[in-house]
Amino acid sequence: MMEPLRLTALPAKEVPMRQARFEPYVDNGGTVLAIAGSDYCVIAGDTRMSDGGYGIQTRQYTKIFQLTNKCVIATSGMQADTLALRKRLETVLSRYQKEHGKPMSTPAISQYLSNTLYQKRFFPYYTFNLVCGVDEDGVGCIWTYDAVGSHERVKMSSQGSGNQLVQPLLDNQVGKFNQRIVDGPRELSSEQAVSLAKDAITSAGERDIYTGDFADIVVINSTGVHWEKFNLKLD
Amino acid sequence: MENLNRGGFSFDLCKRNDMIAKNGMKMPGFMKTGTTIVGVVYADGVVLGADTRATEGPIVADKDCEKIHYIADNIYCCGAGTAADTEYATALISSKLKLHRLATGKQVRVVTALTMLKQMLFKYQGHVSAALILGGIDITGPSLHTIYPHGSTDQLPFVTMGSGSLAAMAELEANFKPNMTKQEAITLVADAIKSGIFNDLGSGSNVNITVLTKEGVEVLKGYERPNERKYRSKPYIFKSGTTPILSEVRLPPLSSKVIIEDVPMEV
Amino acid sequence: MFLTRSEYDRDVNTFSSEGRLFQVEYALEAIKLGSTAIGIQCEEGVVLAVEKRLTSTLLEPSSIQKVVEIDYHLICAMSGLTADSRTIIDHARIETQNHRFNFDEPMGVESCVQSICDLALRFGENRKEGEEKMSRPFGVALLIAGVDERGPSLYHSDPSGTFTQYNAKAIGAGSEGAQITLQEKYSKTLTLIEAQQLALTTLKQVMEEAITTTNVEVAVITKKDKKFKIYNKEDLEGLIATL
Repeated sequence: MMEPLRLTALPAKEVPMRQARFEPYVDNGGTVLAIAGSDYCVIAGDTRMSDGGYGIQTRQYTKIFQLTNKCVIATSGMQADTLALRKRLETVLSRYQKEHGKPMSTPAISQYLSNTLYQKRFFPYYTFNLVCGVDEDGVGCIWTYDAVGSHERVKMSSQGSGNQLVQPLLDNQVGKFNQRIVDGPRELSSEQAVSLAKDAITSAGERDIYTGDFADIVVINSTGVHWEKFNLKLD
Repeated sequence: MENLNRGGFSFDLCKRNDMIAKNGMKMPGFMKTGTTIVGVVYADGVVLGADTRATEGPIVADKDCEKIHYIADNIYCCGAGTAADTEYATALISSKLKLHRLATGKQVRVVTALTMLKQMLFKYQGHVSAALILGGIDITGPSLHTIYPHGSTDQLPFVTMGSGSLAAMAELEANFKPNMTKQEAITLVADAIKSGIFNDLGSGSNVNITVLTKEGVEVLKGYERPNERKYRSKPYIFKSGTTPILSEVRLPPLSSKVIIEDVPMEV
Repeated sequence: MFLTRSEYDRDVNTFSSEGRLFQVEYALEAIKLGSTAIGIQCEEGVVLAVEKRLTSTLLEPSSIQKVVEIDYHLICAMSGLTADSRTIIDHARIETQNHRFNFDEPMGVESCVQSICDLALRFGENRKEGEEKMSRPFGVALLIAGVDERGPSLYHSDPSGTFTQYNAKAIGAGSEGAQITLQEKYSKTLTLIEAQQLALTTLKQVMEEAITTTNVEVAVITKKDKKFKIYNKEDLEGLIATL
């Protein structure tokens, strides 16, 4: 007997439907790091932005953003969320200036960022931040965050795709961890910190495919925020 | 009895691996040559090119690896995919072809290598992740082929494979012309590879080139090195004795690190 | 038939033809009935001194409190309908705590005073569903003393929602006389001790009763500690003895 004619192209057996999932996040990669001293703070961040796979979207995306004359925020993770977060911070900064007649201090910014991130505890900003600068006494300071607002004041930190490559170097060279003899002064000079930051971001560019192209090197001290462009490998 | 003398891989553990993977275990990753490889036929030969980056996920595992493999004196093969698969597939066929040459006493043909590679890859149904560019010169003249992991093949005047193939193909489509000179072909291949190196994150470091002609083979390792390190700080020097040794360092008791203080309560 | 006044003095939101808001002016009158409060700012800090009216010997003096804490670095003395100050103080306390929560730092003195005056000005406003109705202006004036990164400062706020900074200010029933005295005696070089003595002697002049440890309240906030102190009985005894 002949099979009854079927009018659809669907297979007889039921195939489970695959629904398009909501995927709101993409990791645009990149590395940021910071070193704080008693009267300076050095921040470095590469400028590569990738598509989460093997593609480069731009070689000129600056991950460091100046908030005040004493403070910058360095962010890796998702660029769209980073821009949204920066916009929020900028709004609050200008409101604060008007309401309280002074720029927001770096510690105040650090607390505010934590609250802002935690407010989105169940739909987080996919951002990994460093708030860096000098505090009200001119002492270099860094706050390091997770995506939902946990934060800690530290002497050195890194975030992003090259974090695992860079952090041990900073711990060793800035933190001088587990060293019985430390030759010379325990604290790096500002110039030494800049050199270390450049070496660290270069090394991250050697081994992390998401880090490269160029780097911003920022020095914050009593004279303000100073920017420098720095070349990394383009491959 | 049917299991005897069947040679090759055993797939017995595939079901088991699938089951434990479904139960949440993460399988170890393989080293992938997230790669750009290119081949071009010119007037009297074939030029093969490759980048030199090997990756493990987002990490560069090898900055100067070799992706152009020897098959026979007149045949070379570029590999993209899982590093081990490309290396073993080419090495296996290379040794079989050597026996073939010794048995026949003739120079092996490129199509022979092609057939053996595609039969092997087809047998493994795509599980051997080798995407190959086979180039050589024999009695029939220069020829160039691609072989996909499932065993399909092409013969073309210019080809590219790997994650950087889109970037490289852009260069080839724009600048390929038939019957180029040797130098023109080398320059085109190098440009195509560089396009992959700079625009594909899976490819990087240097340009390796191999030229096959009637006269012989020219292996140009590091034909271009456009990605040398640009900055190095002063060397990190540690005085002898920096590292603490447990038997020499007396750890302070934990109690010495505990601070107890009274905090007066606010009224 | 009607006096010009009474036509306009019912509604808090209607100006009279002379451009006056009578309910606000009446509220300002209410303060002149209140007990006297004096604030003096000097280089070292700020002093607040307030008279407590003990209308009966049966009254428990400690149940009257006219100097209250807003935050560690902010205190406030009041005069007028002191019950109204509860709303204001609650608001200011929330604002200062919010500031600490948001920014991990104490709120600026002027910012706090500004937020108090924002509230004071909300009478007769159309408020949202569920929000408390505010039917009339507050009948209380405040002297707000605090220390921030700009140093110690003293502010005065009144029912109209106006605030002004002062070196020395008196509010309440005896304010006119007290203000004249302050005008004469105040100098920028006063020490904190001298400021306390000036505050108490001025208060003494305008009080009907003799000054005791139970019928005045004194509080200071210093630049050094950045924290207030409300004087207890012993502190007051010591201070009164120096007058």
